[in-house]
Formats: sequence, C-alpha cells, structure tokens
Amino acid sequence: MKFKDYYETLGVPRSATQDEIKRAYRKLARKYHPDVSQDADAEARFKELGEAHDVLKDPEKRAAYDQIGSGARAGQDFQPPPGWDAGFEFGGRDFGFGDGMDRSDFFESLFGRQTGRGQRHGMHARGEDHHATVLIDLADAYRGAQRSISLRVPVLDETGHVSMREHKLDVRIPRGIRAGQHLRLTGQGEPGIGNGPAGDLYLEIGFNPDAQFRVDGRDVFFDLPLAPWEAVLGCSLTLPTPEGSVQISVPAGSAAGRQLRLKGKGIPGDPPGDLYAVLAIALPPAVTDGEKQAYRAMASAFNFNPRAHMKGNPS
Amino acid sequence: MSFDNTELVLGSVIEEENYLTLVELCQASHASEDHVIAWVFEGVLEPIGETPQDWHFTGQSLRRTRLALSFSRDLEINPAGVALALDLLDEIAVLRARLQRIGVRCHAK
Repeated sequence: MKFKDYYETLGVPRSATQDEIKRAYRKLARKYHPDVSQDADAEARFKELGEAHDVLKDPEKRAAYDQIGSGARAGQDFQPPPGWDAGFEFGGRDFGFGDGMDRSDFFESLFGRQTGRGQRHGMHARGEDHHATVLIDLADAYRGAQRSISLRVPVLDETGHVSMREHKLDVRIPRGIRAGQHLRLTGQGEPGIGNGPAGDLYLEIGFNPDAQFRVDGRDVFFDLPLAPWEAVLGCSLTLPTPEGSVQISVPAGSAAGRQLRLKGKGIPGDPPGDLYAVLAIALPPAVTDGEKQAYRAMASAFNFNPRAHMKGNPS
Repeated sequence: MSFDNTELVLGSVIEEENYLTLVELCQASHASEDHVIAWVFEGVLEPIGETPQDWHFTGQSLRRTRLALSFSRDLEINPAGVALALDLLDEIAVLRARLQRIGVRCHAK
C-alpha cells in the first residue's frame, strides 16, 4: 500500500488553516467534478480530492493523519503501525459519507471501512435503487438489442461480512431508445432487508462514439463528401444508413454545408427522427498532366472569382 | 466472487411508458423529499402536476436530480446555485451538440 499525501492532493501546505483547506477543496472540486469536467481522469481526481478533504477537514482525523504521516512521502510503501489509532475516536468509524464513494485502501487502513447500512435484526426496509450506465451502438437504437451487463453487488453474509458478488443480467434494449434515457429494471437493485422489497436498477443509456454518424436527440447526421461535379450537376447515390441503404438524390447546385433531410430515417419512435446528410465538397487532386489540363480548361471556361465578395475586391 | 445465473430482464423506458412519482424519484436518486421540493421551487425540476402528491417526473428529471444532489453535496451549492449550474450545463450541452452537428468533435482538455 502506498502512502497518500492528502496535503499534496489539495495543493496546500501542512500548515494550512481549516479555511484554506476548505477553499482549496472547493476550488478543485468544482474543477474536477465529474459532471462538469471534460478531463478523462476527472472522476479519479475528484475521488482523491473527496478522500483528502474528508480527512483534513476533520481536526481529529487530520491530527491522526499528521501523526503517522510526518516524514512519509506520497507513493512510499506504507503500513500503519499496530495500534496507531489508540487515543483517537472517529465517531464509531461511521463517517456517514452517504455518497457511496469508495475510499482507497490507504484510507480504509487508517480510518476503517464504511460498510453502509448494517443489517439489524427484525428490521424490514426496501433495498436501495442502483444506477449504471450502458453504452450501445447507434444501430442498436434502430433495431433494439440485448445486452449482457454484469454488476458487482455487495452482499452481507450471516456473519455480517461484506463480499462482492457478480450479478449478470441480460437486458432487452428497446428499439428507439435515445442517449440520456433511463431504463428501469424493477426489483434488480439492492436486495431488501428482512421482508422488504428489492430496490430498482436504473440504466442510463449512452451511445458509443461512431466514426460516421452523429446523434442529436432522435436526429442523426453524417457527412456526405461530393466531387465538385456531383455537387454542381446533381447526382443520385446509394448510401448505407444505420438501418440499411437508401437512395438519395443530390440536387444540382448544392453548396457545401447544405443538409439533405431523409425524413423519418433517424432513430425510430413516434415521431421518428430524421437523418441528415451534411454535404461537403472534396477537391480532386491533380497529379497527371491530363488532370492538370482539366483544371486549366475549367479556369479558362469560367469567369469565376471566389473572392468577389471580399472588400477591395482582390483579384 | 460468486456468480449467479443470467436472467433476461425487460426494462421500462421512463417517461415513454411511465413517470416517476416524488417518492420513486427520491428512492431512485437518493435525494430527500425536502431537497426535491426545494429544487422544484427553484425550477431545477419541472414535474407534471400541481401538488407534490400529484407530481410526475420524467427520466430527464432523474438525471437532473442526481446532478443536483451531487452538486449540493459535493460542492455545497444552495438550490439557487444548483439551478444556475444546471442551466449552464444544459446550455453547454446544446452548444456541444451544435458543434458536433457541424462536425467539430469536442475533445477533453
């Protein structure tokens, strides 16, 4: 187990006042809050901040931490000395995080493990609702899908010990589901206590990033590159979509950025979304003499100044 | 770690097939009723129905409630601040979707 330097995590000196610790925590917590930050490691950073703050905001825990931590450096191997916490009282080892955050081994070795609700004899209560995120492909939203998900569920045995059990579920993902929607699985949350009913499991749906298609609500977008002559003269194309190929006709004189709507070809539903082809013009490179000659022929055939709209009319 | 048998489960899509009551929303989000009521009065959540007993919440409300709870707990933001933060996040989401629609991918910093 590695020693964790909570002061370093919060970026404050060991001599920091409680107010300075609180300020530093708030500032970093806003920055790395996983619901706000786009940082890939925001969740891990936020968890570390929470743990550091939990210890340093509490004068008793901070004093205990300072006592064992003097001289230790972050990343060093660390074992708490036996009986190190004699003389400290941590409120019955129940800090009531209440946030379901799991703490590091380092934290638990110092301050104990929070086991959540204890099982009390003769008590009945509904199990808690659980949450998970499921990523599906866009095609799954068009067709519906079945997904195997495995959840790690803490189980309390007769002796009061917590062990993790893997719970596997095959979930039917209905056709037409959109990112951000929730699927509720009744009775698949935490088991109830005593005769209490089990909680529910809520699955939030998200889409895997797709190289070709972008999704906005029920509408789906994709880029459609065209050769200049296709855009100018118009053309008819067969294109693959998430639910099979479609025939699409590009009108003559189509400019880059124009969106062609394929009504009802977005994510199914009532009403279904639309599929949009966003036109882009691809410039053919001229390598051979014949290709260069074709560009020269165009230049002399057209009286075209692409900068005509610019001030001073540069030629 | 032990395994148990796989079972096939059918879920229901919130708001298309059903809505959440105040009690269900609180159970699902782990927020207290007092919190949820405060957020409704700040406009963070917009349930259907007049009184808390009649309120019905959409799946979107579940997401917003969980966000509101994490902001007020982790960042100690009051209900008005939570409302502001969620409105700004909504606006960022709209802008990101618009960027994405014109083909600009938003990368993490």
